[in-house]
Amino acid sequence: MLFFRSEERAAKWCAGRGVPRRPLVTMNQLWKLATTWYATRLEAVARRPQASEMRALFASIGLDDDFWDPGSDRFG
Amino acid sequence: MSADRDLGVKVAIYGHFAETGRRPEVVDVARRAGIDEAGVVASFQSLRAQRLLLLENDGRSIRMAPPFSGVPTQHLVEADGIGYFANCAWDALGVPAALRKPGRVHSRCEESGEPLDLPVGLEGPESSDWLFHCLVPAAKWWDDLVFT
Repeated sequence: MLFFRSEERAAKWCAGRGVPRRPLVTMNQLWKLATTWYATRLEAVARRPQASEMRALFASIGLDDDFWDPGSDRFG
Repeated sequence: MSADRDLGVKVAIYGHFAETGRRPEVVDVARRAGIDEAGVVASFQSLRAQRLLLLENDGRSIRMAPPFSGVPTQHLVEADGIGYFANCAWDALGVPAALRKPGRVHSRCEESGEPLDLPVGLEGPESSDWLFHCLVPAAKWWDDLVFT
């Protein structure tokens, strides 16, 4: 999970390693993921989101590809 | 009960990270949680099974208590005068989110090496056109969390 300065930089990095380019996420989308995942992490009641909650979270910010589905078997 | 012990250990781990920016040793967690070291190590294993913790091979050293990293990484977050290492780009924003404090994310573009210096407020990061890329599909994240 890495930062890239631009779409072109991400594409070049992937091509150079022969790995598929995955969906790119904006900083605002990433903030939504970070806050949902971690906002209560220091508290006793904190827990990781369950699979259905993960799917709903990703879908809520437009990440609805199988790539973001924790139950997907599409990727072997 | 082990569930109560695990909870106390988890809170102690995160409390130490939040206050110091560094991983606690078993003895630190034992002192903070008020239990013996054997109980701490047992809870480490339990928390690992719950995917709340990643341990080094010795079973006693914390590699990751997401979003915090127990070892130095390329993702450094400064908040309230303390430096925190994050496990990945996602966790770099996760540190100020977990602390509920403004911070500053220092990282880099993985392709060009260009430095990222991103202020993050309580409502989120300053406007930025940098991007986040995750190579590993969500279903595989915990197969090899360090690689992910």
